[in-house]
Amino acid sequence: MKRTLAALAATAALLAGCTPDAERDRSDGPGPEPGTLRILASSELADLAPVLDRVREDTGITVKPTYTGTLDAVRLLAGEKTDGADGDFDAVWLASADYLRLHPAAARKVVSETSVMSSPVAVGVRTGTVRKLGWRPEDVTWSQIEQAVRAGRLTYGMTDPARSNSGFATLVSVASALSGAQSALTDADVAQAAPRLREFFTGQQLTSGSSGWLAKAYQRRGNVDALLNYESVLKGIPGLTVIRPKDGVLTADYPLSSLAGTPAATRKDVRRLTDALRTPEIQREITARTHRRPVVPSVPPAAGLDTTRRRELPFPGSRSVADGLLDAYENELRRPSRTVYVLDTSGSMAGGRLNGLKEALTDLTGEFRHREEVTLMPFGSDVKSVRTHVVEPADPEAGLDAIRADAGGLTAAGDTAIYSSLQQAYDHLGPGRDTFTSIVLMTDGENTTGARAGDFDAFYRSLAPDQRDVPVFPILFGDSDRRELTHIAELTGGRLFDARKGSLDSAFEEIRGYQ
Amino acid sequence: MLLTGGVAAAVVAGQRGEDANTATTTVRMVIGSEKAGYFADPDVVEALAARNYTVEVETSGSWAMRELDLTTYDLAFPSSQAPAVELADRYKVRGPLPRPFYSPLVVMAHRNAAEVLAANGLATLDTEHRGTLKMAAYLDAARADRTWQQLAGTAPYGELRGTVFVTGTNPETSNSGALYLAAASYVANGGRVVTGEDGLDRTEPLLRKLVTVQGAQQSSSDAVFRDFVSGAGNPLVWVYESQVASLLTDGQRPDDLVVLYPDTTVNSDHTVVPLTDAGESLAGLLATDEELRRLAVRHGFRPQGAATGFPSATAYLKQELTGVRQAPVPTSAILREMALRARE
Repeated sequence: MKRTLAALAATAALLAGCTPDAERDRSDGPGPEPGTLRILASSELADLAPVLDRVREDTGITVKPTYTGTLDAVRLLAGEKTDGADGDFDAVWLASADYLRLHPAAARKVVSETSVMSSPVAVGVRTGTVRKLGWRPEDVTWSQIEQAVRAGRLTYGMTDPARSNSGFATLVSVASALSGAQSALTDADVAQAAPRLREFFTGQQLTSGSSGWLAKAYQRRGNVDALLNYESVLKGIPGLTVIRPKDGVLTADYPLSSLAGTPAATRKDVRRLTDALRTPEIQREITARTHRRPVVPSVPPAAGLDTTRRRELPFPGSRSVADGLLDAYENELRRPSRTVYVLDTSGSMAGGRLNGLKEALTDLTGEFRHREEVTLMPFGSDVKSVRTHVVEPADPEAGLDAIRADAGGLTAAGDTAIYSSLQQAYDHLGPGRDTFTSIVLMTDGENTTGARAGDFDAFYRSLAPDQRDVPVFPILFGDSDRRELTHIAELTGGRLFDARKGSLDSAFEEIRGYQ
Repeated sequence: MLLTGGVAAAVVAGQRGEDANTATTTVRMVIGSEKAGYFADPDVVEALAARNYTVEVETSGSWAMRELDLTTYDLAFPSSQAPAVELADRYKVRGPLPRPFYSPLVVMAHRNAAEVLAANGLATLDTEHRGTLKMAAYLDAARADRTWQQLAGTAPYGELRGTVFVTGTNPETSNSGALYLAAASYVANGGRVVTGEDGLDRTEPLLRKLVTVQGAQQSSSDAVFRDFVSGAGNPLVWVYESQVASLLTDGQRPDDLVVLYPDTTVNSDHTVVPLTDAGESLAGLLATDEELRRLAVRHGFRPQGAATGFPSATAYLKQELTGVRQAPVPTSAILREMALRARE
């Protein structure tokens, strides 16, 4: 688990860093402001914006959210590699405090948790697929889903459990159900269920660092049958039949909490905000707009939210079980990653930029998963070298050492052949294998030589369909051209990351969630 | 956490101040979260203002109060005697500690779960919505890792699967969770309160089972209660009777709710630790003032010495606690050790 943890701490450090798209809203200004609460919030809470506008009208309290993955937030609060965010936030609002409570350093910072609404983990399946499988949505169990996956009749996408609470809650739900555990998961349950879980995760065709991108990728791909996420997220995606498996789910209950060490006036504002959010009017608005379930008895869940009961699967009670499950997922259970890093080492990178890149790559080696295939493809006027390493479970350090050695040997020279190099990356990857395959493009300038944008578009469109499923994740850095890189991300179904506001380190780290 | 109640009270008191010459005393207090609703109730605020008091309230877990610096407060109001005694020791408070009201711990159950328990001899039902949990039988089932599917009559209810257990809060930080262990240990120790190493050793295996089966535990009884209300979570949860009662006084009559009184339970004695003279006089008022006692009932608390229960909610709540044995609570040191061992 050590590797995963280190990785996550690094993300935490960059939380405030890049702004890949509208999902992340950075709270600006360093200090507290009367009437304004700076809240560290789960990213899917962005859908509450209109509700929070109304609360501001009612109470005069403005919420400034900083969106992040729940698990990243916990690591931030626990102060791994950071000062624990002291003074940066007035309150915390995560999908669930379960994981937080397993980290004493983070748990100590949080006081008076108040749950505001709830949403269970669910499976959203294309309505046509439900029909083909002959399922009655109200009767479907995790074992049936597993059988459909094993028969090759169901593929799905889910978020990365190491970053997102929806992914982690899904992982715990699946592990609990398939291990046959009768109460909270133990290490033995996880070990015993490993073979079944590995088969279950062969069906996972999409991974994502955020629910928002997951939905976009699902719609673009068109060949993935289902998504595993919170009911509230799935209800917002057209064409899905939302199934809460009969043998049990985990539920997010969105506790809004004060932070220890904040002034009494701030805690009073947090209390006023929670009280306002729990009024029947606002609870009605929450359930109607966001498909989450209310926590006050006088307000029924919105139409379309099935109220028949489901078993609540317990969340693991110890950090060793929770982290052990995450570790097993990343390094053993999920399909391996296959990643090509197309790295600009043109003349303009010489000096500080190149050193920064070397350091970022060296740090990144702490994050590669077992079985991952990593290719470094530095380029200038053309691709300078193609070096591929595999992180072998028997001796992971050997592969990581080799990557670090290659990173250390990078030199800056030549022009910037972005498109030719990308084409070579696709050629290198060749036809699809059973991996999560992606290309990272890091460049500090505009394309100056080789193939042009139009050539690349034509090249990409001529690829076989499974190769067109390989996304490019461009990183905005130095003097690179946002329009050029945005186009590459959109064309290939990737996502743009901005390292100009944060750091290269943090961009590389955030992309891990998508690999 | 400051409540709006404090602010509202200041306004009311100010208005009254125009025609009354008496000065208003502001009392700063830290209370268990379950009493926040009481002190925020406009009628309570007004009643206090009429007696020339304004309160400023912050909430804290009862056991977490020992982590706070209480020197700027007038009183602390945890939800149980043990933490109160500890605070009184620390701040050298002498004399008896007033206990204005109390509330027994109960189990909220979904109806099908309560009916299955009753059909299998683990509970009895007096009405559709009220019954008794047989603690000895329940603890035997827990000892044997009994699952719902092993009980008769669960087949139609898909959600009744897995080990039968009651969900409580973290006993290391939260009073209601600690009192769950107090009640269970009393029964497991042969009807005697645990006072030392022997009893701790004897009860440890069962208590650990009761706790570890729950997995991650919530830190406040409100969270457990809200999960139940929102239809998520375990079908059996350990809460204060006052939480259920205040839900019912709001006019709610949930169809899918049965209140099970454990045949051996523990009372949560809401106990005041006065830290200043102002705190002491307010404590006296809470215990004796008829209006304030009446309003406590509205929030589900049973005033000390009052015979009455909750006449408007008899379908769900017992009027008198006859047939419910009150187990004494171990000392705070024993209770803490119990919680530590159970969560190891």
